[in-house]
This record gives sequence, C-alpha cells and structure tokens, in this order.
Amino acid sequence: MLHKRTRRTIALSITAIAVLIAAVATWLIRQRLGHASMATGWTLLASVGLLMLLGLRKKLVMLPILPVRVWTQFHIYTGLFALAIYLMHVPVVIASGFFESTLSLLFLSVAGSGLYGVWISRRGAKRLTAIAGEYRFDRFGWHRRTLADRAAEILTEVGQTGDVPVIAQFYRERLQHYFSTRPSLAYVLVPTSHRKRRLLTELGELDRYFATNVKQAAGRLAALIRTRDDLDYHYATQLRMRMWLAIHIALTVAMLVFIVVHVLMVLRFQGA
Amino acid sequence: MGTTSTIEIRRPQRWDQPFDPDMQDRDVQWLSSLSPFSEMDKAAFPASTPLDGVLRNDCRIRHVQPGEVIVREGDYGNSAFLVIAGSVRAVLGQLPPQSLGRTTAKQKGWLSAISALWKQPRFPEVRTVDQITPGGSSRVQQHGDTASIFLQDFDGIVTHQRTLQIGPGEMFGEVAAMYRAPRTATVVADSEATLVEVRWQGLRLLRRDRVLAEQLEQNYRTNWLMIHLRETPLFRFLPENCLQKVADATLLRSFGRLEWHSDYRRTRKLPPVEQIESEPLVAMEGHLPTDLLLIRSGFARVCSRHGEGHRTLAYLGKGHMFGLREIVHNTYRDTNQAPVTLQESLRAVGFVDTLHIPIEVVAEYVLPFIRRSELPDPISRDDQQARARHDIASQVPTGMLEFIVQERLNNGRQAMVIDLNACTRCDDCVKACATTHNGNPRFTRSGPANDGIQFTQACMHCADPVCMIGCPTGAISRHPETGTVSVHETICIGCGTCAASCPYENIQMRTMRDPQGRMYFDESAGLPIMKATKCDLCQSQPSGPACQNACPHDALVRIDLGNLEDLSDWISRRR
Repeated sequence: MLHKRTRRTIALSITAIAVLIAAVATWLIRQRLGHASMATGWTLLASVGLLMLLGLRKKLVMLPILPVRVWTQFHIYTGLFALAIYLMHVPVVIASGFFESTLSLLFLSVAGSGLYGVWISRRGAKRLTAIAGEYRFDRFGWHRRTLADRAAEILTEVGQTGDVPVIAQFYRERLQHYFSTRPSLAYVLVPTSHRKRRLLTELGELDRYFATNVKQAAGRLAALIRTRDDLDYHYATQLRMRMWLAIHIALTVAMLVFIVVHVLMVLRFQGA
Repeated sequence: MGTTSTIEIRRPQRWDQPFDPDMQDRDVQWLSSLSPFSEMDKAAFPASTPLDGVLRNDCRIRHVQPGEVIVREGDYGNSAFLVIAGSVRAVLGQLPPQSLGRTTAKQKGWLSAISALWKQPRFPEVRTVDQITPGGSSRVQQHGDTASIFLQDFDGIVTHQRTLQIGPGEMFGEVAAMYRAPRTATVVADSEATLVEVRWQGLRLLRRDRVLAEQLEQNYRTNWLMIHLRETPLFRFLPENCLQKVADATLLRSFGRLEWHSDYRRTRKLPPVEQIESEPLVAMEGHLPTDLLLIRSGFARVCSRHGEGHRTLAYLGKGHMFGLREIVHNTYRDTNQAPVTLQESLRAVGFVDTLHIPIEVVAEYVLPFIRRSELPDPISRDDQQARARHDIASQVPTGMLEFIVQERLNNGRQAMVIDLNACTRCDDCVKACATTHNGNPRFTRSGPANDGIQFTQACMHCADPVCMIGCPTGAISRHPETGTVSVHETICIGCGTCAASCPYENIQMRTMRDPQGRMYFDESAGLPIMKATKCDLCQSQPSGPACQNACPHDALVRIDLGNLEDLSDWISRRR
C-alpha cells in the first residue's frame, strides 16, 4: 500500500497529464477551425457523470466494487479535471445572460463547495482531534444538558454552605444562558474563543469577593465553561462538515437540471 | 472531619463463589469415594485448599441425557469432565455445523444484497420465528437449570462418523481448560451419564496429586506438544528425532490469571507503572538466559528498565519466541567473550502459557537446523539489534504501545481502528453497518483513544475470545477458517454470559421483534426473548466489513493489533 503523500502526488500528476492532453486536443481542434466547445462540452458532461457515481457507490456499500475511499479520491481528481475543462469550455468564467450565467455560477459553486469540502475534511478532522473531547453528533444535546445540570449542581452545593449572592447573581446573569442555549449561528460559522475568554475574565474578576469554598466552586465552573466551549467548537466544526455536503448535493441537483436544459438547447441549435 | 477511621470487612475468600452452590456434603462424600479421587493423596493438598474443598467448590455433578451435546468442537471452555457413570462419545470427525445449531451465514449475491436495501424493517431487531428458535437436526432443551443442545438424530450422525467412546474414570476437555485452547472434538452423551465437571482452578489444584499431574502432563506431551513445536516456523527443518529430543526436554509453565477478564476493568485503571509491576515476571532483564521461551497461549509484554519505570518495547502472542537473540549470541560468541544477559524483561499480560526449552537443547538440537539468515545477529556493543527492534516500534509510539497493552487491545484480531486526524465524524461507517444489518448498527463510533487513534468499541474477534467461555449452548463460536466470532441466534438463549464476559463491552443484548414490531415473549417464563448481538464482520455481505468499505476518508481500518508490524505499517502510511 502506498503512502498517502505518494498517492496524492501520483493522482495529481495523472490529473495534470489528462488536463494537458485535453488542452492540446482543444488547441488542435481550434487550429483546424473545429468546434472545440463541443469536444470540451461532452468531456465536461462525461466528467459530471463520473462525479455522480460517488453518491451511488455510497448508497451501495455492500458491493465489492472498490472501497468508497478510492471512489472519493477518484471524485476529487475528476472534479479538478472537470474544473479545468470548464475553463477551456467557456469563453468567460461567468457567461452572460440569465440562464448561462446561472449555470456558470452553479458550476463554480459546486466546484467551490467541493474544494471547500476537501479543505474542511482535512483541516476540520485535525482540529477536532486537537480539541479535548470526542463527541458524537447525535449526542450534542445530551452533552449540553449534562454540562448545564453540573453547573446548576455546583451552584446548589455552594449555596448550601452559606450566603453566596455574588456567584449566584453571576450564574443567573451570565452562565445560565451560556449553558442552556445552543451556540449562535455566528459562532457556528466562525467559532472563536471570545465568549469563553470574556466569561472566564469576568469570573476571575469576581474572585476577590469569594470565600474559599466559593473560590473552589468558581474554579469548577471555569472548567465547565472551557468544556462547554470545546463542545461548541466540536459542534460547529462537525455541523459545517455535514452542511457543506448537503449544500454541495443541493447545488449539484440544481446544476444538473440546468445542464440538461443546456445540452438540449445545444443539440437543438447545433446546426444553426 | 480530621479523624482517620478504618472499616473492618472480611477479605474475600478463595471459594466464596463455588462452581455449584447446590453441592452438598453427601455429594462431596460420594465423589471422595470414587476413583480417581479416592486414590488421591490427601496429604498432598495444603490445609487452605484440601481435596474435599476442591470437590465441593470447584466441581459440579452433571447428569446428561442421550444425545445431549456436552462440548462442541471449537468451543472455548474452562472446565474438564470426568465420566462417573454411563458413557459419552467424542466425535472425531467434523459434525455439520447445522447439527449443532450453528447456521452458517449464507454469502449474499449482488442482487440480494441490493434488494435488502428495499426490505429494511421498520423496527429494530426484526426476526422471523424460524430465526428465533432452532430447527433442523438440533434443539435447545432446558435441563434442570441449564440449557443444552441436543442432537436430534444422534444415532444417524454417529453411524457416519468416526467416534471414540469415553467411559467411567476417563477424563476429557482438560487441555482446553488448562491452556485456553479450543475444544478439538464434539462430545455427546451416549447414554444417560453422570459427569463431574471441574473448573480449571480446581483442575490446577488437583494437579497437586502426583499421579493425576503426571497423567495430565503425559496426555499433553503425547497429544499436543509435538504439534505445537511443529507449528513453530523456526523448527520446520528439525528432523523428527531432534524435535522429539526438544519435546522431551521442554518444560511447561503458566503465568498470571487465566480469567484475566474478570478483573480487567480494575487493572486497566492502574497507572502504567503499577500495571507493569503487577504483571507476573516470566523472564528478567539482566539475568543470564537459561531457556528459549515459546509463547503457547496468552500475551506477554517485552519491556526494559527506563528511568524509574519500565518501557514497553513490544508485546508477544502465540507462537512468538523470547530469548533467542541472547542464546544465539552466547552460543556463537568467541570463547574469550563474556555471555550476554537478557536485554529485556518478559511479563505476563493477563495470563501466558510458555514452553521453556533449555539452552543446551537449543544449542544441540535446534540451532544447527536453522538457516543462518533466519538467526538474529549477534549483539554488538551498541546493540544494533535492539535499535532495529525499537525502529519497528518507533512507528508505534511508546505511549501507544503502553496504552494498547494497558487496555488489552492487543487481543484484537480484527480491531476497528480510526485515524482521528482523517475522520470527519460523518458516521458513514455506522450508517453502512446499519444498512448491512437490517437497520441495526453493531457499533457506535466511540471507544478509547490515544495519540489521535481511536480503538472503536466494535467486536475485535479476539485472539483470546473470553466471550465464548461459558456459553451454555455454544451459540457464540469462532469460524474455524476465518476466525470470525459470531452469534448463532437460533440457539442463543439470551443468558447474557457472553456480554458479561466481554471485557470490552462489545456485545449487546437486544430484545427481538417480529416484522409487525411485536416483541417475542417466552411462553413459559413470560419474559422477552433476548439475543446477543455483535459485529459479525459482514460475513454474509459480498463486500466484507461495510464499515471499512464505507469510510470515504481512508480513516478506518480493521487490523490485527496482535501483530505490531501491521499497526506500525498503517501508522506510517497515514502520515
């Protein structure tokens, strides 16, 4: 079995050679005053057809027709090839007119979301591993509730030992909402540690007003704030890794509809 | 607060849990009057473990009916049987698995595998009635408080098979019980018979009787030792007479607890230093080698002193050797050179059975017949060989080696390992598993992780499948060719022994439903029908394990963790 980097180098080289052959063929057709756009168009259509096979393979996991990882690699490099062929096919990157410009935008969006998918799949996986904790996507709600319950328990425990108005007020005003709500859309799109740092700073500033036992409780609350932030980071990253695929598929379906119409129009007006 | 108090409790005693709680004094007296117990030297047993105590606590009396299956070929057992009355019959040939209620999963074709996509049941764990109860030539029958498999057409089966009758005073199943080996034959009651079943702890104590010990060792030496030696690749060119000399000189040793899984959860939580210190020492670093060690069963940790602790360098399993490098060096060294001592220590992880071949015998009867190219290089001053060995392990970081042994993951022959740096947590593996098991995933993507690698909680099809010990009907068994451990649901009585025994918690007990979603209930007890469920490596699917096939990011692999080179190779490729 080849090393991952070696496989990547080989696959990129083969893709580059395929693009070069297509470019030379297109140039030759143009030199002979042929319809190069027809050749690139059919090549592009065939590439899109090949790209669609990954979705089918994923549904038929029980069949011994190469593992999905091989099909994924094939999908990625065929996608890169298709992008190069698209650039040879169109006169300008975004065509004019409502229909053609929409098709261009759809193609570029599909290609862009695909490239984003490659990036987020590699980077997101590493980021998730680097952040403490391992959470299943279907269990995030349960984890959030558990953390909220533990925070409430800490406050109850410390409340039984005496008068604790400062930390109780801070919990009510700042932490209860933090623990009981899902992360905001803004956080999901761009997860930052800003909210965690602000809460920890505010909690730290109250330290001078706490008795010894309350200080210990505040320390445990601080640990929960950090855990909740890690949990939210996992949630945001996992959600984005799932959402890009949903968006990629939706854009692909829309693009396919436009491609079918585009091909029918081309065939209709081919001789004109 | 401020005062230190103590709690006085009774220390657990050796026989707090007898094998059969219903054993009575009269049973013990009756057994004591029977051969071979009546001929045993009671003085050979210490006061803490007298012979009567062994009979009362480590034995149980079983009455079996004609056609009742006592042990099955391939079972893992931890007890031996002594025939008291009546007779039993060992079937020397292979019985058809169906006759033992073990229905082999049929390999699906492409079309039937695809059509299953449209036939996914609406409810979890849906089965038809014939998938719940056995049909064909076997049946499960409750007999006292135990369930047993009965052969329907015993006479017909025996007529066409080579069999061996075992009568009163004869013992069977002792090798499997003592050395954690699979049963080599199916034994069926020939007539109504009375047996004494002795669990392995009792069997070890009974070996204090010299006559029985010699008999058991002789049985092993006659029937098994030569086979084990012949299976060792390094001995493949030894002439038969040399192999016999080696067998005659070989000592049999055991270390650690055979039932390691019972205290696994406690020991794995020990700090690594304490864990290593608690493992029985098989051979010690710095001592002169006296024997070549051959691992017969179980696992051992190779470690060396490092600072104030011990560093794990590798782990060994069945068929591996220890001490060869030092013995070869000492045998072929110049006469003016001092002999080298063992470079590493060997410790039993859980339990390990070893064969000890004295160095004189190795030098005279083994080394001359091993190709020079297969022998390890002599140990040089800077110990090139040790570095080469460490290079193999270097792809597997020391911390991970310690982790694997600590968690006993080296037991896994088909462990599911996930590279968390490549896994996008898409759960395509779980979805694929569900797709191939009628909507019932056989694992969740969770489990212990170390250094970016997760060892997922899916059945690992262990080298030492402790889940198989104690299954009353033999419903959980290992495929003789593929090694896959699977549950034969028709004869699974839902007792949960396997799920409780699995130290990794990879077997789940599930209630069964019919296609309309109605739960099956036992007509006599009125309790829901439960079955053990676990990963079966997608045996019936044309693709093999769907989890591995479905991973789009090359993050998941099924791997033999007992083979360090496989893991090292995978780790090096993923970077």
